[in-house]
Amino acid sequence: MERGFKMKQKQHGFWDDVKKYRSLLLMLVPAVLFFLLFAYIPMSGIILAFKQYDYTGGVFGSPWNGWDNFKFFFNSGDAWRVTRNTALYNIAFIVVNNVVQIFAAILLFEVAGKWFRKITQTVLFLPYFISWVVVGAIAYNLFNFDVGTINVLLKGLGMQPVDIYNTASYWPVILVVVSAWKTLGYGTIMYLAAITSIDTEMYEAAEIDGANIFQRIMKITVPNLMPTVIILVLLAIGNVFRGDFGMFYNMVGNNGLLFSSTDVIDTFVFRSLTTSNEIGMSAAAGFYQSLLGFVTIMLANYAVRKYDKDRALF
Amino acid sequence: MMKNKTKKLTVTLATMMALGTILSACGGNNNANTGAEATKAPATATEGTAANPGAPDTSKEVKLKMLLIGGQPGDYDKVFGELNTKLKEKINATVETEFLDWSDWTQKYPLKFAANEDFDLVYTANWALYNDQALKGGFLELTDDLLSTYMPQTWEAMPKVNWEQAKVDGKLFMVPNNNVEVTDKVVLYREDLRKKYNLPEINSLESYATYLKTVAKEETGITAYGAKPADGWKWHELDQATLEQNNDWNLVDANLLPLAYKLDDATGKIFNIYDTPEFRELLTYYKDLADNGVWSKNVVSNKNDVWQDIKAEKVSSYAQNLGTVAANVSEMRRDKPDVELAIADLTPGKKKIAAISTQNGMAIHATSKNVERSLMLIDLLQNDKEIHDLTMYGIAGTNYIPDGDKKYSAGPAAANYTGFSNWGWNSPLNRQDSAYPVEADNMFNSWQSSIYHFPLETFVFDSTPVKNEVANIGNVMLRYAIPLEYGLIDDLDKGQADLIKQLKSAGIDKVQTELQSQIDAFLAAQK
Repeated sequence: MERGFKMKQKQHGFWDDVKKYRSLLLMLVPAVLFFLLFAYIPMSGIILAFKQYDYTGGVFGSPWNGWDNFKFFFNSGDAWRVTRNTALYNIAFIVVNNVVQIFAAILLFEVAGKWFRKITQTVLFLPYFISWVVVGAIAYNLFNFDVGTINVLLKGLGMQPVDIYNTASYWPVILVVVSAWKTLGYGTIMYLAAITSIDTEMYEAAEIDGANIFQRIMKITVPNLMPTVIILVLLAIGNVFRGDFGMFYNMVGNNGLLFSSTDVIDTFVFRSLTTSNEIGMSAAAGFYQSLLGFVTIMLANYAVRKYDKDRALF
Repeated sequence: MMKNKTKKLTVTLATMMALGTILSACGGNNNANTGAEATKAPATATEGTAANPGAPDTSKEVKLKMLLIGGQPGDYDKVFGELNTKLKEKINATVETEFLDWSDWTQKYPLKFAANEDFDLVYTANWALYNDQALKGGFLELTDDLLSTYMPQTWEAMPKVNWEQAKVDGKLFMVPNNNVEVTDKVVLYREDLRKKYNLPEINSLESYATYLKTVAKEETGITAYGAKPADGWKWHELDQATLEQNNDWNLVDANLLPLAYKLDDATGKIFNIYDTPEFRELLTYYKDLADNGVWSKNVVSNKNDVWQDIKAEKVSSYAQNLGTVAANVSEMRRDKPDVELAIADLTPGKKKIAAISTQNGMAIHATSKNVERSLMLIDLLQNDKEIHDLTMYGIAGTNYIPDGDKKYSAGPAAANYTGFSNWGWNSPLNRQDSAYPVEADNMFNSWQSSIYHFPLETFVFDSTPVKNEVANIGNVMLRYAIPLEYGLIDDLDKGQADLIKQLKSAGIDKVQTELQSQIDAFLAAQK
């Protein structure tokens, strides 16, 4: 009797939970559906990377062609260069952007004055909403040789103008700075939220113990931010082999002189395939990036797990 | 009580969000399904034709969907509203048009096919992916039966050679336009500036260089030559004049490969244009222009519309089709009569190439469900005077003012009906702009006797067997050839050697062998 009752209770357990959390579960449904429809089901399209796509056959009926679609990328002699560029740029973006954002968030948090903080936040956030096309146009007006703002200034000061658009070595710096400028507001708000949620009692205690402002920042704020930083960095690492196409294409465009230091996988593939429209070959390049991304995020997560189990993603 | 309300609200909100996701997802799925079903449709349609060759059955009203390239004109609703009233009467159909803007049509166009979207008619041309999409199975094959049954007027009016020229691998996929055009490029320049500095008439590369260098030196605030290499094209209009026309060469597929043959070479022998003394000479010519500041040092990053810059008097010259620069001249005469423009042929006396019929045309989507009515629509667009006038020039008295049967002049709202690819149905019914510059007309007429027809005119390269190499060659052209041509690399010999070396490692030899064997087969079949 008692045993039967227990079993019954157990069976009810799951449905009770479902019932209890029904609104939460319901709120989860859109996200689950979203990923199912837009990430898991389309994944079957990966087979296109191994097919010679034609319209009559469609995704599933087109003939197979083995590794043919991957050849253009690895035979080009540029595969290593663009892969390296993509990874290095993304690593630079992750490091620089996060450091700058955390710095800005701490500054904003420490600076008193609600109005000042709000206004600064808004101003910092603005670039995030400017599209890359517009940023590209602004950059051209700043940097171009004949009438660009920078060169007009230099000439006005009696100095030699710099030929930015024909010099590849300036571009890594320009791109890193532009990326930091554009993402600053977004990241700052995220980190500011994380800082605000730190228990204020800790600050009060530290102040009573005589800690100065730098000690408070280094010993309380930064350590408490680490979990957030780790999660954000882990998420970003999964995309280390995906170049931000909008950024690179609009900033550099088809300027062949800059490719040696600015070409990323995405722009390379775009240029190679934009006139031939080989869907299979684009799928192959995408597959290559996903595979690299998958391996990197598994490794990164593994490393974090070793260091501190609780902070890993999974 | 309060708590209960909040809970209810949460549940409702969550449900709504969930529903929204499901609905939008269904939309996506539906498209895919119709695509799959539609694949079977054309087969039935063709069978129907064969069984019933009599008068087409138009008892059921249909809605056609058409894709055109270019921005949607301001007066689209008015003009196409009127068109639909007429079409309803004539073939019991209406048409809805989607416009693929000039800025990104190259990306959107193939996607429409790849995603198998639901549309019936589409603009196409040899420069707008016709061969590519035809080989990939994007268009419906048009048989003589279909054409003679559903487009009697066009079947009657179109010269047979036009149909032949539009065939890919022996099959027809396009209703080409019916119009003679020359593809040779000319230059547009500022005649007032030439006179101001008392420069010789422009009729050769040398006289053109003199003009450009003088403008660059004397005029501040004006760039002598305007180009837009930032758009990703690998072969530019000026190269076409200075290298192809000047040497009587023809590039096989100008935006994919740097491979050409001599126009009068009956054997069709292919060579790499970058590996010729003529190209080396051209590089010196270009370098001299670049060093004299004829174009901006940052020309490869410039994305401005060159004609708009000329109109704003910021650029003094560019190269384009005769038809385009003629329209530019008349526009300038209308809007800024004090600026004097003129047109020059840099290669007079050389062979001229007539555009083959596929320069413009209309095709039927492979999965269209309304093949008959679509063909009937093209028939009317191309050969029905009333409908041709309406769709080419807009509403009489508003967008254009008819002048007899052959000419017209711009109406008060001319700007509201222009700028998209209604050239797809060019025909002898086209009217000529009364403001069309006489000199352009004269130039065109003087070319007629030099138009050269050659066996490879209609050859189409099927690049599938060497697609990997083609992709990489395009990349090399952008990276090494364009900066070299625009004089941005100081050591020309080294630049040229680098370019050739990179092309070799990208596999140009393999492509050349493949292309040569296809050309040989093509020429053998013609004999």
